[in-house]
Amino acid sequence: MTATENPATQQASNTYRPSTLQRFLPFVIAAVVPFILGATTNDLNFWWKAAITVAILALVARLAWRWTPRGELTHREDMRLWRTPSDRSWAALTMFGLLVLPFILASDFTPPMDFPWATWFAVVNLVLIFAMGAAAFNLLVGYSGQISLAHVAFLALGSIVGGIVGVQWSGGNMWLALPAAALAGAVVGAISGLPALRLKHLYLLLATFGFHFVMMLVWREYLQEYFGFVGIRFKGVNSPRIASWLHWLPGIDPDENGEFIITGQFRWYWVLMPITVLSILFMVNVIRTREGRAFAAVRDRDVSASLLGINVARSKLMAFALSSAVVAMSGVLASFYIGSRGEDSFNVQTVLNYAIIIVVGGFSSIQGAIFGSAFFWFLPEWFKWAREELWFVRDIDFLSDYPSEIDLAIKGFLVVIILMFKPDGLAGMWRDFKSWLGRRLARNNP
Amino acid sequence: MLLAFGNFTADPSVNLQLLIGGLALGAIYAVVALGFVLVYKSTDVLNLAHGEFLMLGAYFALTFLISENLNFFLGVFVLLLVMLVFGLLVHYGIMRRMVGQGFFAIVLITLGIATIIRALLLIFYGPTERARLDLLPQGSFEIGGATVRYVDLIIFAVVALCVLLFFLFFKYTRLGLHMRAVADDIEAAAAMGIDPDKVYAMTWAAAMVMAGVGGLLFGHVTGAIDRSIEAIGLRAFPAAVVGGLTSLGGSIVGGLVVGVIEQFANGHLGTKWREPVAFSVMFVVLLVRPTGLWGRKDLERV
Repeated sequence: MTATENPATQQASNTYRPSTLQRFLPFVIAAVVPFILGATTNDLNFWWKAAITVAILALVARLAWRWTPRGELTHREDMRLWRTPSDRSWAALTMFGLLVLPFILASDFTPPMDFPWATWFAVVNLVLIFAMGAAAFNLLVGYSGQISLAHVAFLALGSIVGGIVGVQWSGGNMWLALPAAALAGAVVGAISGLPALRLKHLYLLLATFGFHFVMMLVWREYLQEYFGFVGIRFKGVNSPRIASWLHWLPGIDPDENGEFIITGQFRWYWVLMPITVLSILFMVNVIRTREGRAFAAVRDRDVSASLLGINVARSKLMAFALSSAVVAMSGVLASFYIGSRGEDSFNVQTVLNYAIIIVVGGFSSIQGAIFGSAFFWFLPEWFKWAREELWFVRDIDFLSDYPSEIDLAIKGFLVVIILMFKPDGLAGMWRDFKSWLGRRLARNNP
Repeated sequence: MLLAFGNFTADPSVNLQLLIGGLALGAIYAVVALGFVLVYKSTDVLNLAHGEFLMLGAYFALTFLISENLNFFLGVFVLLLVMLVFGLLVHYGIMRRMVGQGFFAIVLITLGIATIIRALLLIFYGPTERARLDLLPQGSFEIGGATVRYVDLIIFAVVALCVLLFFLFFKYTRLGLHMRAVADDIEAAAAMGIDPDKVYAMTWAAAMVMAGVGGLLFGHVTGAIDRSIEAIGLRAFPAAVVGGLTSLGGSIVGGLVVGVIEQFANGHLGTKWREPVAFSVMFVVLLVRPTGLWGRKDLERV
């Protein structure tokens, strides 16, 4: 075999390695342009901005696609989080989309057929909070295989820590409550994971469900001891704010009292989005480490995992601690965002809601948690809009007579249908779509 | 918080009343736990929708026995028949496709079924609460200063009868043998010419009928019939676990034990302690003896 026929050398000749500037440029564009678009408030009309946005979306996606190393890669390049052209493309698109979204939603624009622009913003923020909690839930239940129904218990724990550290001690310091909740969540999560060392599947599910009820008792006791029946108020004087030594940052203009209170959907978005994105990236990266692979090994067969030298007990407790820490943090965020937490803020239905989210989104995939929570929150809004505005739905009395019941029924049917026919959920559909798109593109330009 | 435990009373009549109330509650738990055990024993499915099945039974009892005003026995017959059809529907419509799926996926699909039933009941019956059923004798008599309701005695008798019937059924009938065989090893059973599909269908039908009986009975002792009675399904978990999820007789013993413990916690510690205490008992049982008092132990091979 001559050197030219050797497949290895042929592959090497196909190797393409962009410069560092090229590698980062699409992401820099995606990070900067939204703020420029957002800053130019009144100069352009909405449709112009929309056209520019779409054009830049396409540009960013194309550049990220083209400037991807391919061919013979180094180990470092092979281990990157976004490795393939499509990964990098979607990452750049997502980055641009997440940054430009608040400016679009805050803009003064009436969509056709009165589509509720303002409620969308609230829904987007809720989706962010729920995506974080659901991703952590999925990390534990789907990815590590430790069946737990104690999920809402940790949301309640987050609210308790938010109440103690954020409200009682510091009068609205959410920034202190977040790490405190993560710490408390990790410790209590590891304790709640102790039954997992002995129990599996069904019995573990029941044991964690027992933990749920114990935590609910703690929550009620705490509420009645310090706050009475009205519940904890995270609003008003207890609203989170940006400390005064950070007021020099661009885009932060303090009010007449010299304070910058985080209130309103726009400001909340800029708090919630980075936290959610960072925690989800953190969990995605955990899955890629030795620790994360150990989770999957323990899920598949714990005895075999122990033969491979994995400390099964440590791995299980770690999964519980990690997941609970993130869930407790999302509990703090939810408390401060929603503004009040009372006796009936947490119930069994909330557990079911999270289960619905991860089933519809796609079991054991972090992506699925995001899709699932988006679907879960947008569906009722969309139905509400359809019932009020859409001409062929508006006239069906049955639908407008039982709005919430029909939402509930649809959610139930969705869970059943997805589990029966499409167990991968929306994330699976998304993967199918991407591979279809890839085949389609490959066919057009081979 | 822990010091507020007080309120312990030595008054025997109070404790007797609590004991009797606990046994009555335990009988209801036993009915529900029996439904769990039936399904778990032969299909290995933890049916989280059983509370909703029971609610369905209670509402159908309202329809057939109160609204339609049928003769009691005819009404009960129609009720159980309808529940049986629903059980077959659950199996052939949904659960049949889930055989062989992961454990948690099946648990979640029962949650989906639960959600659907709840939504449909809300649509067709509305959120307003209805008065409880009053078809069984309503009186009571006194023993040693404690009141015993006739209804509780009837519930107790019905549960004991059901357990006995199912016990005989599993032990002496051909279908019961098939059910046990399928529960033990579905592939071996299928190789011996047993149709697991049919066995599963019968199991779900039996569980639904049991839920119909449970709904009818629980409809007599609950405060009012509304959407909150589904909670009985979750509250009966400790009973099923303490007795052992694969043991018919265990469900009745577990039900009574947990019912009494819960009622004493309720009486001496306060209502809020009811669920935590019951679930803590379950927790301890799970840690010490995961298969419950009489559950079957499974060996695990690698």
